[in-house]
Amino acid sequence: MEYIGEHLWAGQLGNLFVIVSFVAALLSTYAYFKSSKETEEHKDSWSDLGRLAFRIHSIGVVGVVGMLFFMLLNNYFEYHYVWQHSSKSLPIRYVFSAFWEGQEGSFILWSFWHVILGNLLIRSAKNWESTVMTVFSSVQIFLTSMILGVVVLDYKLGSNPFTVLLREHPQFQNIPLFSSENYLEKLDGRGLNPLLQNYWMTIHPPTLFLGFASTLVPFAFAIAGLWKRDYQGWIKPVLPWTIFGVMVLGIGILMGGAWAYEALSFGGFWAWDPVENASLVPWITFVGALHVMHVQKTRGNAAPTTFAMTIFTFILVLYSTFLTRSGILGESSVHAFTDLGMYGHLLSYLMFFFALGLTMFFINLKKFPKAEDDAFSSREFWMFVGTLVLALSAIHITIMTSKPVINLIFGTKMALDIGAQERFDIYHSFQIPVVIVITSMIAFTQFLKYKKSDGKAVFRKLAISSLSALIITGLFTFAFDYTNPYYILMLFSAMFAITGNIEYLIRILKGNINKAGSSIAHIGFALIMLGALLSTSKSIVISENSSSIDLESLGDIKNNENILLYQNDTVKLQDYYVTFIGKRKEGVNIFYDVKYMKKIDSDYITEFTLSPRIQLNPQMGNVAEPDTRHFLYKDIYTHVTYADLSMPADTDPDKYGELATRQMKVGESFFTSNFKYQLDSVFVNNKVSIDSLNDSTRIEVVAQFSVIDKIGNISKASPMYVIENIDSGKILSIPHELEEAGVILSLNKIIPSENKYEISVREKNSVKNDFMVMKAIQFPMINVLWIGCFLFMVGCIIAMINRMQANK
Amino acid sequence: MKKTHIIAIVIIAVAIGVITTSLGNASTYGNFTEAFDNPDSKIQVVGYFNKEKELVYEPEIDPNLMSFYMTDKEGKECKVVLNQSKPQDFERSEEIVLKGKAVGEEFHATDMLMKCPSKYNDGNLQVYTD
Repeated sequence: MEYIGEHLWAGQLGNLFVIVSFVAALLSTYAYFKSSKETEEHKDSWSDLGRLAFRIHSIGVVGVVGMLFFMLLNNYFEYHYVWQHSSKSLPIRYVFSAFWEGQEGSFILWSFWHVILGNLLIRSAKNWESTVMTVFSSVQIFLTSMILGVVVLDYKLGSNPFTVLLREHPQFQNIPLFSSENYLEKLDGRGLNPLLQNYWMTIHPPTLFLGFASTLVPFAFAIAGLWKRDYQGWIKPVLPWTIFGVMVLGIGILMGGAWAYEALSFGGFWAWDPVENASLVPWITFVGALHVMHVQKTRGNAAPTTFAMTIFTFILVLYSTFLTRSGILGESSVHAFTDLGMYGHLLSYLMFFFALGLTMFFINLKKFPKAEDDAFSSREFWMFVGTLVLALSAIHITIMTSKPVINLIFGTKMALDIGAQERFDIYHSFQIPVVIVITSMIAFTQFLKYKKSDGKAVFRKLAISSLSALIITGLFTFAFDYTNPYYILMLFSAMFAITGNIEYLIRILKGNINKAGSSIAHIGFALIMLGALLSTSKSIVISENSSSIDLESLGDIKNNENILLYQNDTVKLQDYYVTFIGKRKEGVNIFYDVKYMKKIDSDYITEFTLSPRIQLNPQMGNVAEPDTRHFLYKDIYTHVTYADLSMPADTDPDKYGELATRQMKVGESFFTSNFKYQLDSVFVNNKVSIDSLNDSTRIEVVAQFSVIDKIGNISKASPMYVIENIDSGKILSIPHELEEAGVILSLNKIIPSENKYEISVREKNSVKNDFMVMKAIQFPMINVLWIGCFLFMVGCIIAMINRMQANK
Repeated sequence: MKKTHIIAIVIIAVAIGVITTSLGNASTYGNFTEAFDNPDSKIQVVGYFNKEKELVYEPEIDPNLMSFYMTDKEGKECKVVLNQSKPQDFERSEEIVLKGKAVGEEFHATDMLMKCPSKYNDGNLQVYTD
């Protein structure tokens, strides 16, 4: 059948770009490899060819990016990828989010960054070009193969967004829609997941992937260094790249945290989710690599550690790719990718470079220069210990996140932790001591000199900063009421790192900004740790359930973090009086306006109003988005956990609402949004003596209720249960309507065996009060974290520029 | 032996100790039968929400409590009491993971993770009906 309106040329062109980029990467790898051999006669022409091939590869990748954007922007829903990630109603500003929402798009984004970095390297790598670019291009072979989508020996290699047509997709083949030749006229895309329709989704993935991409530069140089047996020369050119990578990856990770904090319902900026961990681990080893690189550059005795950390950083990026994309995490993570069946392919990508790195390392192991023992008072000794601690931190997180992998290998059944508290227990017990050690080292290590320094002089230098850190820690401990010794220690070590580096900036560097990069970045890092500590350990769920409901029956599993608010009711939450004003619908969003007030004397003064919302999406599920009020010293976070989604206009106020039925004993009571219903007594209305009982006796059972409204007014209701005559068994239930209150009560059934009565209540829609269930958390001092993030970035930029100038 | 080596060995030994302990404390995946056989141990059960049976969530009474029936992967059904508010679109969930333990005839869960259909192809094509 000829289908009308399909744009098959676009896919063909896109696919051509894919093939070109893959083949050119192969060619570039081969040519660069040839040119890197010393004995090669036509060295220069091979490297010219390698360069040319990499440029063609770059054109291919840029073409792929361009075509995918073009197809998304023009709603070419005949393509599965476009259909899956976009829709007609999707605002243009989310086209980027749609681009990298899927695995294919994010692989394209990743290889796009490699292309940018590779081209910069071709210009700057000089005599390292051939070897470094061989590694670079070989990585690109794997990455572009992920979007190749060709079938080799019954195995589909990668997933190609240009060749998978919706009507040919295995899931949709037999859908009647495709029997009409103009099916495209009726077709709309599935659309972007509402969770991702967010500006964070526009900036977070590209930053993170640039961070991932920049781990390839040091890796390629390290392999090149091992290959050429030059353990020293690769460090200098790679330093600015490494600082750049540490900065971008760090910022990318924190952006993810900011996103989670602002727009998702985690209730915090870090949840130790497997996917978060998978991006954090390479950053930790990257930081370690950066520090031993400095030792290797100055002293030349840290080659094994430097190579190991650099190589492992890249391997861990690949491992994290494998974890999040192979489907192995299963349902234990909130944001793993959809499984595309690329398990084997991803594993081979990981294993190839793992084997390459390991082999190159062990071939050289015996040849690394022998180092003499470092002195206790030397800078390199402490940088080495620090790096070791960082490596252990990375190993701990990796193992804890790799439970599904361990299960697969050893046949165990360990579950990945899903509860927030459990995750905190597992990770913090190890990582808080790590932070204490690391921040302490940050405080004093730069006062030490390479080789050997005068210990006493260093102690004297540290007197002011350690003393001031101690005083500030004391004040914070008092102000925030800290008792946990780990927290107090971490408070001190972070403070010490800050004061120590400020002192170093002033006394040693004398304000020389060019050299100040590392100090500023270290202050930034310490502030991030400080902010994380204060905001996490002292966050208070202010919406703790204050109702008198007995939760004892649940034993030790008590969670009362959510509170029910009726419309116009005011509830006290910590320092605030909170009122749910009402809800309003704007487009696909329902906003729930919550007013926060303070009580001054006897007046309620409105402080602010928050509007957390629920985004309606019938196709993919509704999504709740929190709203947060930012203050200088604290944030108030508010999130709708449950609410009625129907709007008042949808219902007639004079009609009676749904029937609520329950069973109760005499003396018991229950609540609805407006009333308390208490079953006072049940009696038989007409006195019937046993003697006169005959087949036609009528028995009237009356249930006496007290209906109590909020102000305490009591009305009485007495629905009846009537047995017309015992013989026919005819039964009547006579409800009682309290017109003024807008309530109908009825007695439906008598259950003599349990001594219970089944009753039902209907309330008028006008009476029924709207309600919402929400969670509110107060996060103190979270701004310290964001300020730290900014300083970390500034420090990295200064250090990077400084290193670049030194290399000129 | 060098100082750095000694320090390295000490730190690594401590780390191995900590890691093995916390791995040993990890809760395990299981099913309802195992949960009821070991009523004291926390266990994670993967299964499906039974849409036919009663789901109770009455925020007026307790906004932090819901109960429903879940069928585990072995096909055993059990009443679940979850000490949390009802998540948005719970009814649409395809697969759920519960962490908790068996109490009497019920499974009391403290945490729940839903596999939301948004991330999975539900196989429906949206078609304009104009």
